[in-house]
Amino acid sequence: MIAEYGQLALTFALALSVLLAVVPLYGSFSGNQRALLQAKPLAIGLFIFCLLAKLALVHAFLTSDFTVINVATNSSSILPWYYQITASFGSHEGSMLLWILMLAGWTALVAIFSKGLPLLMQGRILGVLGLINIGFIAFSLFMSNPFARSLPFYPVEGMDLNPLLQDFGMIIHPPLLYMGYVGFAVSFAFAIAALIGGKFDSTWARWARPWTLAAWLFLTLGIMFGSWWAYHELGWGGWWFWDPVENASFLPWLVGTALLHSLAVTEKRGTFKSWTVLLALGAFSLSLVGAFLVRSGVLVSVHSFAADPDRGIFLLVFLLLVIGGSLALYASRMTSVRSQARYQLFSREVMLWGNNVFLLTATLVVFLGTLFPLFHKELGLGTISIGEPFFNQMFYYLTIPFALLLGLGPWVRWKQQPVKPLLGPFSLIAVASLILAVGTLAAMQTVQANLALLGLLLGAWVGLSALYELYQRMSQFGSVSKGAFKLHASHYGMTIAHIGFAVLVVGVAMTKTYSVERDVRMQINDSISLAGYKFTLLEVYPLTGPNYGGEAAEITVHNDKGQLLTQLHAEKRFYTIQRTVMTESAVHARLSRDLYVSLGEALPGEAWALRLYVKPFVRWIWLGGLLMALGALVALLDKRYRRSNAGSAGQAAATDKTGAANA
Amino acid sequence: MRKVLFYLPLVLFLTLALFLLSGLFSNPMERESVTINRALPAFSLPDLMQPDHQWQPELLRGETFLLNVWGTWCPTCNAELSYMTELSQQGVKIVGLYYVLPADPVLGEHFDLAELQADVSNKLQQHGNPYQFNILDVKRSLALDLGVSGAPETFIIDSNGMVRSHHIGDINPQVWRNKLAPVYQQWRQQDGANP
Repeated sequence: MIAEYGQLALTFALALSVLLAVVPLYGSFSGNQRALLQAKPLAIGLFIFCLLAKLALVHAFLTSDFTVINVATNSSSILPWYYQITASFGSHEGSMLLWILMLAGWTALVAIFSKGLPLLMQGRILGVLGLINIGFIAFSLFMSNPFARSLPFYPVEGMDLNPLLQDFGMIIHPPLLYMGYVGFAVSFAFAIAALIGGKFDSTWARWARPWTLAAWLFLTLGIMFGSWWAYHELGWGGWWFWDPVENASFLPWLVGTALLHSLAVTEKRGTFKSWTVLLALGAFSLSLVGAFLVRSGVLVSVHSFAADPDRGIFLLVFLLLVIGGSLALYASRMTSVRSQARYQLFSREVMLWGNNVFLLTATLVVFLGTLFPLFHKELGLGTISIGEPFFNQMFYYLTIPFALLLGLGPWVRWKQQPVKPLLGPFSLIAVASLILAVGTLAAMQTVQANLALLGLLLGAWVGLSALYELYQRMSQFGSVSKGAFKLHASHYGMTIAHIGFAVLVVGVAMTKTYSVERDVRMQINDSISLAGYKFTLLEVYPLTGPNYGGEAAEITVHNDKGQLLTQLHAEKRFYTIQRTVMTESAVHARLSRDLYVSLGEALPGEAWALRLYVKPFVRWIWLGGLLMALGALVALLDKRYRRSNAGSAGQAAATDKTGAANA
Repeated sequence: MRKVLFYLPLVLFLTLALFLLSGLFSNPMERESVTINRALPAFSLPDLMQPDHQWQPELLRGETFLLNVWGTWCPTCNAELSYMTELSQQGVKIVGLYYVLPADPVLGEHFDLAELQADVSNKLQQHGNPYQFNILDVKRSLALDLGVSGAPETFIIDSNGMVRSHHIGDINPQVWRNKLAPVYQQWRQQDGANP
């Protein structure tokens, strides 16, 4: 019965989303206060019913109710309970419900935390979110019901969760990623509300900034954990594959990053207005296109859910309504916007314009690289595939000017920046970067003009510039210790995120240059040396888990002085129900390098195939991602975002300096 | 001019939607096979169990058969052995192409034929032996020419040595019934017609 209650709850949620879309929007057009006031309770009710539906589905998984098709195909009674919970979003149907829960969650959060917004704006924003909710809940109920039963003929045992998904990464990666994707719906709703109202001044940008930051924070974490998961789960030591679905998550991230920066310009300077609105529409639109690509079967990918043209049609129609509708609204409204502000060529406005140009070029590269095979085929030109080399080369060329600009940007003032005062600090930063980069490679005894040197130079340039700029700003308050308290949280956030980017660049460049790998055949007690590390196969023994069997290998690693560094435990699992083989690689992680071993097939003659890797600085890639997310978190804590809710935005801006003490 | 510019995103999106729509109705997995309806590539490779005997395409003519790419190191290959044994008992000719695992590029090819033969006999005793004989693809050259991307894969070769079907993955009752049997029967019937 619980599953039926779940379906009922989802049906109520659909009804509430329809009301949420209709009532406040009606109120906003007719000026009916009472209708506008319904938005908040409706939004919260919508979330509660979505939560009930989600709980009902989790219940079906935890009790192994195999009469529910979704449970039977994605879970089993011997699956550990925490994976039974994650299995509830491991399938297309279940993940759609998670998506809906997150969307309703964001909607409720907007309702709760927008007390400071004018009632009219609240109504419009929540109404737009209600419209989006309708689409997804209807899709779930009518096209991919997670509660569908297979009575009267149901299996006694489930087909188990895909072993790839039986991992800690599965517990955190999809929820974080979906929070990010769906979070951009809020920026989208703010933009649409601004379009309906016909006002694109700094007010809407100020309101939309914290929400965009929050969505971006989740998306960054989601992508980062996805990369880390792929690295340790897939067993071939890669951390990014330019797979269509990875790209689908990277596209909204790139546009979202551009949006964050563009919102700053619109808020502070009142320019880039039409551009910022378009980015806000674009970030969520790309989330939707991504969802379509994953769920329609248009592209081939390891992440794809089973293809079904009917679902594809439904989603495409939804895309047409949401994206097409919003872009049509955009085109019809954006006719008379004129920027008033004036700025010089060397100014922060132009720096941030440059940021947007590079980020959108990157978006275009990823977009075309992902969809070009589709275009090519549908134009009747045959099948082609675009792989890593294309993306890597394009990003190589994009990153260099982007990083140089990023080092410069935070120093440059709004409106106009004289060149002279910057010459001193930047010669210092340039020299220090050179010393740091060459010094690092010298410490590793391999100074060469290669990708690693370039990465270190760019990383040092961005990182040192960010730190020095922070020091400069603090000193402006009289003394550094005084300034440390006076400086806004969002400034710290920016600095941390920029340092995160620097760390990421260093990690990518070092890993790409100095990683070594070897496929080897080893018998017990064989030793193999790789990049100064000696790997010894100690033993291989049979393995028995709750829903898998297989083999495990113990490998010791010594350094070149003969000291034991670690004993690695690598597994090759055979999942009995799904009859698939999975590699559980063993990793010994340090900030400077990873030692990575995955166990391959048994070979004739009591030997095993093993894959050994030494990957310098690979941790820096995820550390960089974490720092970027931390930067967003710190920026979110900025008091100005919360205080702007209290009064009108104009007042808040005027009292920026004095208000910090009162808040 | 500015006004037209604001319509550009909409136009671009609608164009994209057109492509996505047509994409919905075509299969992305579909690939033109490079081997179908062509002659088996030239080769001269030893028999796995009697290495003195060399197999060439000419020696395989005269009867439609399945060429099954496999190795003892591949669990899925071991899993399909018993069903293929059933098929061979029903009179289907199956020839194995043994794929040597490229395990050891660093230490040089570790290759011990006696070890491999023992391993293969062991596996076939365990799961059943569907093969009339096995061709040893020493350097994996034939597999490369055939466009093999992994094991197991199976080709249907007609009596004139032409490749007629290429299946990636294991052979199970469903695959055999729906995909391979129709092709096999079609060419088997022509075996008598043009000897």
